[in-house]
Amino acid sequence: MPRSERGVSGEGAAGVLDPASPAQDRGPAGQGPAGPEGKRAGRRAARRRRGGRGRDRALPYVLLAPAALILALVLGYPLVRLVLISMQDYGLRALFTGTTRWNGAANYRAVLADGQFGAVLLRTLVFCAALAAGTLVIGLLVAQLMGRLGRRMRTAVTLCLICAWAMPNVAATLVWQWLFQPTYGVVNWLITSTRLAGDYAQHDWLAGPHSAFFVLWLLVVWQSVPFVALTLHAGLSQIPRSYYEAAALAGAGPWTGFRLVTVPLLRPILLLVTILSVIWDFNVFNQIWILTQGGPNGATSTLGIWSFARAFSSQSFGQGAAIAVVSVALLLVLTASYVRRLVRTGEQL
Amino acid sequence: MKRHKVALNAAAALFCVLWAFPVYWMVNTAFKPYGRILSPTPAFLPIPLSLGNFADAIHKPLFGTYLRNSLIVTASVVLLSLAVAFFAATALTRFRFLGRRGFLIGVLTVQMVPQPALLIPLFLTLRSAHLLNTLIGLTLTYVAFVLPFTIWTLRGFLHGVPVEIEEAAMVDGAGRMTVIRLILLPLVAPGVIATSVFAFITAWNDYVYAYVMMKDQDKYTLPVWLVSFSTSTGTDYGGLIAASSLFALPVIVFFMIIQGRLVEGMTSGAVKE
Repeated sequence: MPRSERGVSGEGAAGVLDPASPAQDRGPAGQGPAGPEGKRAGRRAARRRRGGRGRDRALPYVLLAPAALILALVLGYPLVRLVLISMQDYGLRALFTGTTRWNGAANYRAVLADGQFGAVLLRTLVFCAALAAGTLVIGLLVAQLMGRLGRRMRTAVTLCLICAWAMPNVAATLVWQWLFQPTYGVVNWLITSTRLAGDYAQHDWLAGPHSAFFVLWLLVVWQSVPFVALTLHAGLSQIPRSYYEAAALAGAGPWTGFRLVTVPLLRPILLLVTILSVIWDFNVFNQIWILTQGGPNGATSTLGIWSFARAFSSQSFGQGAAIAVVSVALLLVLTASYVRRLVRTGEQL
Repeated sequence: MKRHKVALNAAAALFCVLWAFPVYWMVNTAFKPYGRILSPTPAFLPIPLSLGNFADAIHKPLFGTYLRNSLIVTASVVLLSLAVAFFAATALTRFRFLGRRGFLIGVLTVQMVPQPALLIPLFLTLRSAHLLNTLIGLTLTYVAFVLPFTIWTLRGFLHGVPVEIEEAAMVDGAGRMTVIRLILLPLVAPGVIATSVFAFITAWNDYVYAYVMMKDQDKYTLPVWLVSFSTSTGTDYGGLIAASSLFALPVIVFFMIIQGRLVEGMTSGAVKE
């Protein structure tokens, strides 16, 4: 059955040439439906059709297989393994002998009992909140500003935003290191020479816990504002001007207009941007690791940094995994509303 | 009214100066002659202009190797993830089959898991698969990271292509694969290109996975090298900043080219959800 084989592998030229064949099959059948010749042709056509349908049934799985395989092996399996490792005594010995010992909740107990835990947790949450709040407030202000500017000024703002957005975060972090360099950094020079806050020559920003956090905050906010501002600007420009005019006619000031027109109409985008900011800011890692490595004295160590250091510096993968599990759970709680919405989206598919 | 406009423009100008300053300072430093970088009063214009720092960065040992590693990994991730995601998205939008919804929910869920949390198990898994310290292991990791988003976005683009065109072709006798290859693929090509940005940026920019997985110096990608550069030679800011500029430049150019589509895609996705 060469033809049906062609149907199975039905690709390219063979598939395109196919239309002629059903006509040939059906031709004799139409002339003499009762004849043996016609019956055979009809059977052949039926088998062909069935074969085609069978292939169609398998095709989506074939198309999906590579993606499913990669996701299962490189994301699914490690995710399960993360939870398993968090319940194992997984240290240097396990790494080299390959044998692991279950230790139940011992890793979790050790992590929770660690004097650092409370401080790290609080620090992570406060830092995340400060970043998200800063990003959203500045982003919303810039978005509002952009809508009121002339075309040329708006393009300038957009270009500046895109530059900051496009900077790879390793490059941005290294530039930050240079900007805040104690002796030759331009920031200390600017502060000192404009006499804004006294003599900052030789001031080491990364030596104090608060100033180190401030430098990190500036860096992350600088990089996150563009996405928020551009997205909100796009959302704002979809709100018809007439709504504001109507509000103004009804005697609403700019603030009331913002509260009664902008906020409700922008709510879906605002919500999305907020949740994404929380997720991203909760997971900030590179910037902290490169600039301070969690220092000085652990003062900028967040859950991510702590987990990383436990696993890769202290070689205690079990405890590192336990911290990671705790932080994933915490993030899920923080973004519960978003997760619920995702699940609902999933159900509608 | 006039004063109001002036205030707005002044605010915008101030914002531009603040936001562009780090990038300007990077470029400014990169072009300064070596001796003028470490000076107590910083110069705001790179006069005299010098390419010395770039030459310095490029001639660092193994620079070519790092660049090649980064290019190989990035190109593989972009091509592989787009191909795999395109097939998956086609299956998800053009066929009804058992497990379709389950797969979609799986994709959404897996997307929620923060990447840093997977560092430990992925490190150990790749270690037992003997894929640590290989470009293949790193490529697979990035492909997996970008797949959920890529599948999701391509699915949106494929929904935008009317099924009628394909049905017409199938009535004319074209096979499923022919339709996918000759009709669907060209029609979603713009979407495929827009989606590739994400894969490109993930693979080109990632630091922490490459840092943990690549043990040998000659396996480093550019970001890992940049950071090691900054800690090993704490004083050579000229070379470091010039190298950072070279590293950031392709991404900035890429963003500038696709900027309109970028925001459009983001918000249309946001509204659709």
